[in-house]
Amino acid sequence: MFAVLIDQFWSLTIAGVALGFIYVLISLGYTMVYGVLRMINFANSEIFMWGTFGTVITSRDIFNYTQTSEPATGGKLALVLVSSLLMSMLVAGLTAIFVELVAYRRLRMKGTNRLATLISAIGISIALQEVMRLLTDSRPVGSPRILEKIILTEVWGANIRLDTVITIIAAALIFFVLERFIKLSRMGKAIRAVSMNEDAAKLMGVNLNRVITTTFLVGGLATGAAGFFYITVFEYTKFNIGFTMGMAAFTAAVLGGIGNIRGAFYGGLSLGLLEVYASAVLGTQWKAVTVFIVLVLVLLFKPNGLFGEAVQTTRA
Amino acid sequence: MKIRNYWNLRDWGADIWERANRPKRVAIAVTSIILVAHLPFAGASFLATPIAAYDAVLVYPVGIFVLMALGLNIVVGKSGMLDLGYVAFFAIGAYTMAIMGTTTGLNTWEIMPFGIVFAMLAGVILGLPTLRLRGDYLAIVTLGFGEIVRLVVLNSSWSKGPNGIANVPMPPDIGPLKFKLDDQKVFFWVVIIMILLTIWMIRRLSVRRPGRAWEAIRQDEDAAELMGIATLKYKIWSFTLGAAVGGAAGVLYASKNLFIAPEMFTLNVSILILACVVFGGIGNIWGVIVGATILGYLPDRIRFISDARLLVFGIVLVVVMNFRPDGLLPRKKREKAIVKKEVNA
Amino acid sequence: MNKKIKGSLAVVTAAAVAFGLSSVPAASAAVKTYTIGYQGPLSGGEASTGIDEQNAVKYAIKLFEAKNKNIKIKLVSIDDQGDPAVAGTVAPGVASNKSVLGVVGPAYSGATIASLPYYKSVNMALISPSATRVSLTDPTSPDFGGPIFHRVVGKDDLQGPALAKYATAGVKDAKVFVFDDQSAYAVPLRGYVEGGLKKVAGATLVGGDSVPNTTTDFSPTIAKIKTSGATVVIYTGYYSQAAVFIKQLRDSGSKAVFAGGDGVFNQEFPKLAGAAAEGSKVTGVGGLAGISAKLEADFKKQMGVSSGVYSVESFDAANILLAGIKAGKTTRSSMLAYVKAYNGKSISGNTIKFNANGDISYGLFAGFTTKNGVLVNTGIVK
Repeated sequence: MFAVLIDQFWSLTIAGVALGFIYVLISLGYTMVYGVLRMINFANSEIFMWGTFGTVITSRDIFNYTQTSEPATGGKLALVLVSSLLMSMLVAGLTAIFVELVAYRRLRMKGTNRLATLISAIGISIALQEVMRLLTDSRPVGSPRILEKIILTEVWGANIRLDTVITIIAAALIFFVLERFIKLSRMGKAIRAVSMNEDAAKLMGVNLNRVITTTFLVGGLATGAAGFFYITVFEYTKFNIGFTMGMAAFTAAVLGGIGNIRGAFYGGLSLGLLEVYASAVLGTQWKAVTVFIVLVLVLLFKPNGLFGEAVQTTRA
Repeated sequence: MKIRNYWNLRDWGADIWERANRPKRVAIAVTSIILVAHLPFAGASFLATPIAAYDAVLVYPVGIFVLMALGLNIVVGKSGMLDLGYVAFFAIGAYTMAIMGTTTGLNTWEIMPFGIVFAMLAGVILGLPTLRLRGDYLAIVTLGFGEIVRLVVLNSSWSKGPNGIANVPMPPDIGPLKFKLDDQKVFFWVVIIMILLTIWMIRRLSVRRPGRAWEAIRQDEDAAELMGIATLKYKIWSFTLGAAVGGAAGVLYASKNLFIAPEMFTLNVSILILACVVFGGIGNIWGVIVGATILGYLPDRIRFISDARLLVFGIVLVVVMNFRPDGLLPRKKREKAIVKKEVNA
Repeated sequence: MNKKIKGSLAVVTAAAVAFGLSSVPAASAAVKTYTIGYQGPLSGGEASTGIDEQNAVKYAIKLFEAKNKNIKIKLVSIDDQGDPAVAGTVAPGVASNKSVLGVVGPAYSGATIASLPYYKSVNMALISPSATRVSLTDPTSPDFGGPIFHRVVGKDDLQGPALAKYATAGVKDAKVFVFDDQSAYAVPLRGYVEGGLKKVAGATLVGGDSVPNTTTDFSPTIAKIKTSGATVVIYTGYYSQAAVFIKQLRDSGSKAVFAGGDGVFNQEFPKLAGAAAEGSKVTGVGGLAGISAKLEADFKKQMGVSSGVYSVESFDAANILLAGIKAGKTTRSSMLAYVKAYNGKSISGNTIKFNANGDISYGLFAGFTTKNGVLVNTGIVK
C-alpha cells in the first residue's frame, strides 16, 4: 500500500508542490474577496478557466504556435511565456472585475443578504462557463508546447523538470509580490482597512468601490497567473476544468484559514501534497474523500483553519 | 392611510390570509390544493414543455425540487445555516429505496420510513461534529459531505458503483390510482401530499419552541446561547428534519425514475436546490415553492433554445437576484431586520 | 417603489425572452415529413460526444434527403446531458410524441437504462451508436433493453479482450497497468480488459488505478506505474484525458506502451497529445476518415466540422431508421419490426444484422496506431 509512496516519494512531492502553488494562486482569488467582503467568490473557478484560455490564445493565435511546432527557445521563449502570463492575468483580472460589477456591486450597495449574492455569483459562473462552452463547441482545447520539458537533474530518483521548477519559482514570486502589495502599498492598506472595518474605513476617506474592485482585480490576477501555470504544466483546458480546480483551491483557502493570505499559501501547499500522497496510497478515486475528511478534522480542532483568520483577530 | 403595495406579493397574500376567518381560510386552502392537483391536465396549454413530457416534468424536477427546497429551507431559511451538501440526504433516500426495493421485496411505502431514518441518522452523524462551525466553514464541510456520499457510492460494490441500480420497483397502486410511466399524474399527487405534510410540519414547528429557537439562532447565535437556548440541539434538529425531507424525496424519486446512478447526485443538485430557496424567497414557504417551481420548470420549458439553455438560466439567476435580492416572494419584513448582523457570522 | 417596478419588469422581460421564441415549422404539402430522434448529451460536460454523434446523424439525413426529394426528415434533438436523471424526464416526452418513429441513441448506457421503461411501453426502436455496457443486451440482467434496444457498436466484453490483446501485441512478457476514469463507461470496460489479459500468454497485471475524469494531474498514477515496472499501460476512458495523461507519462521519462479503448479513439487524441501520442495503440471501429478520405472531406464540406467520436456508428444507426422510412415503415411497431429484421451493409463494409438481444453480428474491433499524428488502421484485432 505504501510501496508507491516510499518508492516515488520525491517525484510525488515535487508534483504536489507544483500543483500546490497553482492552488495557492487560485485560492488567493477566494481569500482576497473573502477577506474584504466576507463572501465566497463562487465565480472564481470560472475566472480561472477564462485565464487558462488567455495563455492558449496568446501562444496559438498571437504567436501562431501549433501542436506540431517546435518548442520555443531563447529570447522568443521568454517573450512568449511572459506575454502568455500577462495575457492570462489580464483576461482573468478583467473577468473578475466584470463579475464584481455584474454579480456583486448592486447587491453590496443595497446591503442585502449574503445568500442572494452567493446565488448571483453562482448564476454568473454558470453563464461564464456556458459562454466558453458555446465558444469552444464543448471541446477540449490543447495548448501547443512552448516550453520544452527538459529534465534538469535527478534528485533522489526524482526527475526535476524545467516546467515544474519555473512554476514553483514564478508562482512563489508572484505570491510574494502580491503579499507585499497588500502589506505595504497604499491600496493594500486600504484593502486591509476595509476588511477590518468597512464603516470606519469609509469614514477615513477610503473609496470603497475602488478598493473592492481592486480586491477582485488582484484576486483575478493571481487566479489568471494560476491559469498560465496550469497550461504550462498540463497543456490542456476545457470549459469545465474550473470546477474541480476551484473546489480544490477553495478547500485550500478554508484549510489555511480563509481571508488570510498566508493561510492560502500554506493551505494550497498542504492540499497539493495531501492530494498526491492520498492518491498514491489509497488510489486516486479516494483522493477527494480523503481531502474532505482531513478538512473536517482540521476544522473540528481548529475551527478557523490551520492558520486562523488573521484578519478577523484584528477586526473590531 | 396606508397605500397598499401590490408589488410586494408576499405581504399582499399574507394580508388576505390574515383578514380571512376560518371557513374562508379553509376555502382558500382547499381551492388552491384542488387547482394545483389539476395541473397535470393543463398539458395542452402554453405550459406544455417541448421534448420532455409535461406530466413527468411536474413530478421531476418541479415536484421533487419543491419538496427538497422546503426541506433545505428548514436548514438555510429557518435556522440560517448554509448547507451545500443537501444532495447527500437525497442520495441516501434514493439508494435506500433502490437497494431495499431490489433485494427485500418491500414496497415503496414500507421502505419510506427506512429512507427517512437513514437520512436523519446521516444528518445527526454529520451534524454532531460540524454544526459547531459557522458560516462558510459549515458550507464547505457540508459540501464535502455531499461529495463524500457520492464518491463512496461510486467506489463501492454494494451500490454497483458507477453502473447504478436498475429496475427499482414502482410504488404499489393505491386503490383505483395506478402508478404509470406514460401518465405520471398519480406520482404528482403523491408529491403534493408529501409537500403538504412538509408544509404542515414546518408551520407547526415554526410557531412552537423549536421554531422560535431557530429564529433566535438565525438572528444572533451568541445571544440565543446566552438566553439559554441549547443552540447545538436545535441546530441538529433543524438539520435532521431537513435531512428527513430530503430522504423522503429520494425514496420517491428512485421509485419514480426506476434507475439511479451516482452521477445523478452531484454538487450541482445541492446548488440548484439552494438556488430554488434563495431565488423564491428564503425563509418563506410560499416563496420557496414558487422559486423551486420556476427553476425546476424553466430549463425544460426553454428547451427549444437548447444550446443556450443553461446560459439563459445563469443570466436569469443574476438578474433576479440583483433586482429582487430577497427572492420573488420575500419573507415578512419583521423577520429580516437582522441582515447586517449575519455578515459577521 | 420605482426600483421594485424596475425589478419586476426585468423579470417579466427575461421571461418574455425565454418564452416568446417557440416556433412551429410548417410542412410543405408535396413532400412527406417524418420524424426521428437523436438522444444524447447535447449540453453539459459531455456535450462534445453528443454533438459529434448528432452531426453524423444530420449528415446521414442530408445525404438521404438529397437522394429522396419527396421525403423530408425532421430530427428531434433529445438532450439528456448523458445524465440518467435528465433522461428520465425527456424520455417520457419523446415516448408520448407520436410522430417520432425511432431514436438514434441514447448515447450513454446509464441514460439508456433510465430511458428504457418509457420507450418499451411504446415500442420505440432504439439504435444506439455508443452504449456499450454488456448488461444492456443480456436477457438475464435487470438492465436488459430488449426487445426495443439495438446497438451498432461492439459491447465491452468484445472490446476488452481485443484491447488487451492489441495492447500487449509485440511486447514480450508484458507487465500491464490498467486504469479507468471512474465513469460508467470505463469501469466495466476495465474489468473486461483485465479478464482478457488472463488469456494473453505471458502478460501479467501489475497494478491499476481509478482516476476521476475531471483530474488533470496524473502524477500519482504515473508514480504507481513506475513502481509497478509496467511495460504496457491501458487506459479505459476518453480521449481528452488520455491526451493529458500520455503527455505527462512521456514527460516523466516512461517508455511504456500506451493503449486505450474506443473512448480514446478520436483523431483529436493525437492532435491534443502531439508527439507524445506517437505509437499509442487504440481500439475502435474506425471513424469516417478511417473509411475514406473522400467521405470525410464531404462530411466536412456539408457539416462545416470534422467528423468526431462514434461518427460511423451514428451514421449507420441513422441510415437504418432512414431506410425503414423509405421502405414505408411509418409506424413505431412496423419500424421496430423492420429494425429487428434489418440486414444491410454498414458504411465500413460490415453486415449489420441484429441478433435476438439487439447486438450486431460482427462487433469486431480494429486496432489503430498513432503514426505522424494520425491514428492509422492496422486491421481487425484477431
